[in-house]
Amino acid sequence: MSETYDFLFKFLVIGSAGAGKSCILHQFIENKFKQDSNHTIGVEFGSKVVNVGGKSVKLQIWDTAGQERFRSVTRSYYRGAAGALLVYDITSRETYNALTNWLTDARTLASPNIVIILVGNKKDLETEREVTFLEASRFAQENELMFLETSALTGENVEETFLKCARSILTKIESGELDPERMGSGIQYGDASLRRLDRHKQQRELKKPDCTC
Amino acid sequence: MDLKKKLKSLIHKQDSQQSPVEEKISHDDFQREPSFTKFNQQQVTNPEEEQEVIDSIGEVYFKDETHDTSQLELEKLPEKLELEQIDNDRIKLRRQLQCVSRRVSELVLQNHPAYVGELQRVMELQKTLQLGSVICADARRQLSVARESFTTASLGLLANYRKRQLLKGLLKSLHTIKTMQRTDMRLREMMEEGDYCGAIQLCLECQKAAATFRHYKCISELSSKLQDTLDMLEEQLDVALSKICTNFDVHHYEKVQTAYKLLGKTQTAMDQLHMHFASAIHNTAFQIVLGYVELCSGTKETNFQKKQYADLCKYVTIESFTPCLIDLCKALWGVMRSYHKTMKWHEAHDIQTDSTESDVSRNVELSFDKRYIKQKLENGLIRIWQDVQQKVRTYILGIDLSEFKLDEFIQFLDLVNRMIEIGDEFCQSKSEGLQESLKQQSLNYFKNLHRAKMDELRMFLENEGWEMCPVKSNFHIVNLVEFRFMRHLNKDILALNHIDNSIDTNDTNFQERGGYFQDVIECSPFEIHVDQDENEDVFAGVGDVEEVERDSDSDSDIPDELKHDYIDEITGETHSRPGRRRITRSRSFHKNVSLVTNTSLNICRVIGKYMQMMRLLQPIAFDVLTSLAQLFDFYMYTVYIFFGYDLHSMDGLEINNRLKTTLLRIQTSLIVEVPLPSHTESTSQDNKDRIPQPHLSPIIDLHNASRLYGLAERIVAVESLIFLAQQLEFLEPHLETMIPSTKKAFLQQFYSQTVKMATELRKPVYWAVSSNVIHFDSILQSMSTVKWDIKEIMSQHNPYVDILIKNFADFHLRLSELSRHLPISRAAYEILWDHCIRLANRTFVDGYANAKKCTNEGRALMQLDFQQYLRSMEKLVDIRPIPDREYVETYIKAYYFPENQLESWLQEHREYTVRQLQALVSSVDHINKKARQKLCSMLEEAEKNKR
Repeated sequence: MSETYDFLFKFLVIGSAGAGKSCILHQFIENKFKQDSNHTIGVEFGSKVVNVGGKSVKLQIWDTAGQERFRSVTRSYYRGAAGALLVYDITSRETYNALTNWLTDARTLASPNIVIILVGNKKDLETEREVTFLEASRFAQENELMFLETSALTGENVEETFLKCARSILTKIESGELDPERMGSGIQYGDASLRRLDRHKQQRELKKPDCTC
Repeated sequence: MDLKKKLKSLIHKQDSQQSPVEEKISHDDFQREPSFTKFNQQQVTNPEEEQEVIDSIGEVYFKDETHDTSQLELEKLPEKLELEQIDNDRIKLRRQLQCVSRRVSELVLQNHPAYVGELQRVMELQKTLQLGSVICADARRQLSVARESFTTASLGLLANYRKRQLLKGLLKSLHTIKTMQRTDMRLREMMEEGDYCGAIQLCLECQKAAATFRHYKCISELSSKLQDTLDMLEEQLDVALSKICTNFDVHHYEKVQTAYKLLGKTQTAMDQLHMHFASAIHNTAFQIVLGYVELCSGTKETNFQKKQYADLCKYVTIESFTPCLIDLCKALWGVMRSYHKTMKWHEAHDIQTDSTESDVSRNVELSFDKRYIKQKLENGLIRIWQDVQQKVRTYILGIDLSEFKLDEFIQFLDLVNRMIEIGDEFCQSKSEGLQESLKQQSLNYFKNLHRAKMDELRMFLENEGWEMCPVKSNFHIVNLVEFRFMRHLNKDILALNHIDNSIDTNDTNFQERGGYFQDVIECSPFEIHVDQDENEDVFAGVGDVEEVERDSDSDSDIPDELKHDYIDEITGETHSRPGRRRITRSRSFHKNVSLVTNTSLNICRVIGKYMQMMRLLQPIAFDVLTSLAQLFDFYMYTVYIFFGYDLHSMDGLEINNRLKTTLLRIQTSLIVEVPLPSHTESTSQDNKDRIPQPHLSPIIDLHNASRLYGLAERIVAVESLIFLAQQLEFLEPHLETMIPSTKKAFLQQFYSQTVKMATELRKPVYWAVSSNVIHFDSILQSMSTVKWDIKEIMSQHNPYVDILIKNFADFHLRLSELSRHLPISRAAYEILWDHCIRLANRTFVDGYANAKKCTNEGRALMQLDFQQYLRSMEKLVDIRPIPDREYVETYIKAYYFPENQLESWLQEHREYTVRQLQALVSSVDHINKKARQKLCSMLEEAEKNKR
């Protein structure tokens, strides 16, 4: 691929089954609502280059299956994610209640610097709402999460969610809070030479365990 | 005689000189005559004499009337007058005179009555004349009266009448001229109204009229003006003709054609029409592309107008590509349709005129015209299509479509294919140009797509946790949405021609309705299609309607299946433990396991997409297939690199040679060479189409003994690969129908060399586990402590056997534990144990070979140990027969052979190492030292020869 970008961020979309994770991703990438959406099996993948604060950032997004039985399969994708979308369904308290578990997973499996944004999806179904905005934003505040309500159907706030998350990561990089060079940061430099350098380092680090035996 | 004549003439002279009417005849003249006669009677009597006398008269007397004869006679007189002489002369003259007088009188007397009669008639004539003269004078007088009173007025009237007539004629001409002048205006009006035929007719009439009035001065101007009008009319007609190109209207065209016919320029019209079509194609294409380019570029650049079409096409943005293409196709189709209609019109018209024309000479000309037109139109078909094709082709190739989304691209394909179909219907053209451009774009697009997919695949692999993705145990590739198109084919799975048919049915839609050009509704085929496309799932198969029904009453859709599976597990777990156990038991060591990883699942999906692309992009089906093969190649290679590569050795259980070559092929063709610092630049070109070698996710630990050296991950990796291979084998017949038969060899090669080799990968991958999980070294160590030179038969096996069995039992336990979460295929199970047992057997032989000294009883102990091991193993695992047991048994029993037999045995059994054989020979205590040395040297010799 010849596309150029300044940064590559690895993103993760997590949350209970049926919260609309795949639809959010589909809306973000295709600008279309996915009508006959099936349950995700394992993980699915999507990528898009976005412009954040004058920098082009390639988002590499792993859309995980929400169903419990896929937990073990999806775990390996938490590692090295720079950002995560924690999605729940505003019309389903059950998905909201599961957030704590998802958050624990994310905090334990992913890098400690991961930027998590809480996403209340299905904003368009206002009449069926079970979780109020206030309640969710309080939860977000308590857990130091960003928060947005979206609608994958109308596309409202979908792009903003990703952009907001990416922007936050970028700010952290600029402030030095995040070090892209560190392994498992989920961030890569887009510049070709830098990337190659990065890969070499990765190779070296990978080889280490090989040598120990 | 002369005299007579002279006299007569004399008399005549007198007559003419004197009018008898005027002359006064005096009778006195006649009274003198008698004197002469008197004299004559005296002298001359006879006529002879008289004649003689007359003859003697001097010539000179007859000469001239005026001549003075007296003078003459006097002159004759001599000088000296002699009287006699004179008298003589006088007598002579007298006589002469007498004779002449007599003669004259005679003559007068002779003619006198005639004279009198004549005179009388003269008198009468004179009287008549006098009467005539009176009448004439009277008439003259009367005439002059008449002239005075009558003639002048009436003649003037007549003259005026005539003048009036002439002026009337002039007025008529002037009227006509005036009309003609007005006609010019009318002509213009008619032109505007489009009544070219009438206009031309009028114009031609006018010209004819003008020709007749040529003598008027004003006409020359008018006729030149008429010529101008006619020229203008022709121009107008040309414009009207050009309008035909974009929008054919029967009435309009009929008018124009009749007009041209009137002008006698049917052939020219045809030539013009073709020229117009050519320019219409160019102009429409240019205008449409220009429109889009200008729309997209905003106002930044304004000189697009001057750009070449091909350059202009490069400015079309990717977003506006498809709408622009649709418009372009629509417009060009419109032009083609006009042409088609033109042809149709001529066909119909020909038949019509054939039946009506009767004039022979006209017919010849007409039929010539017709032939010309027909030929021209037929030749034009191909030329027009070529032009259209060229325009579309240039447009298509103007832009890189690699950024298109798949469905967008498919829409693009569909449009172009539709165009090709139209071309086929239009002039039976194969449209090589379009096909070629389509192929080029498809290839380009697909290459890019594939590149992205491969990168994505690498990313999947690098993030892969090698956990089993929980799908239903009988999961099949056709359950995936991407393979929906195959499901209805499965019903009659081996009726493979079906695929072709189903593809055809898509295309025949239009043909059934009578082709693009027969469409009653004047609606572009491109519009129809776009509407369809929006509602159509791009990936939906042909029998989609059926599909919906099937889906609704069966749970063939994955999510449902998974849910069922999921619920089963949950209920099984919540209800009772035994239930759960039953499930696990039934699951362990399956013959066939549907085991997928996230990555292999993704590959399945991509394969599904690729197969659909093969269907849609038939021209590049083979390229897609090779890419499809690359997906599998890459997965296989990665599994090998991750799990089977870091082997130290496999102790003769060498990795399959064919697998080795396959892996090497994949590596050289697909994987980026690790750049050496010295020449990084040179390889960069080769690496363009390759991908970097993936790296195992750091969360996977393959070296932890407590996790059985990553056995779970290894199993997932290899078995998912094998499952993928199985799915591919299932797809083989389908794939075969999709590629040209000439390329089938590749497919066969791919299957025999790569797909079938997948199972071979189990060995190297599991070897690492088998070789590490049992502590063979410590077994060997404990074996070395055993004394084999015992003198009594032992009844108890050695403890190392127990240690070994304990090891195996541990492994077995952990394996069954593992099989609770993970379906372990029978083959994997067998290979794992096979490796373990073979390794154990090698350890046995190694251990026995370590025995420096051995007795028969020691040999028996060995057998006892091995039998104990075998029995325990048979209890532990259900692999029958235990592999390689002869390997150990033969080695033990070789000890018993007598010298000569041992010698031949040694030569036959090369599966043991020289060291083992030497150890055997040296441990044998029933042959002498010399023989032992001989055998040892023989072995050394053989070993040397082997090298």
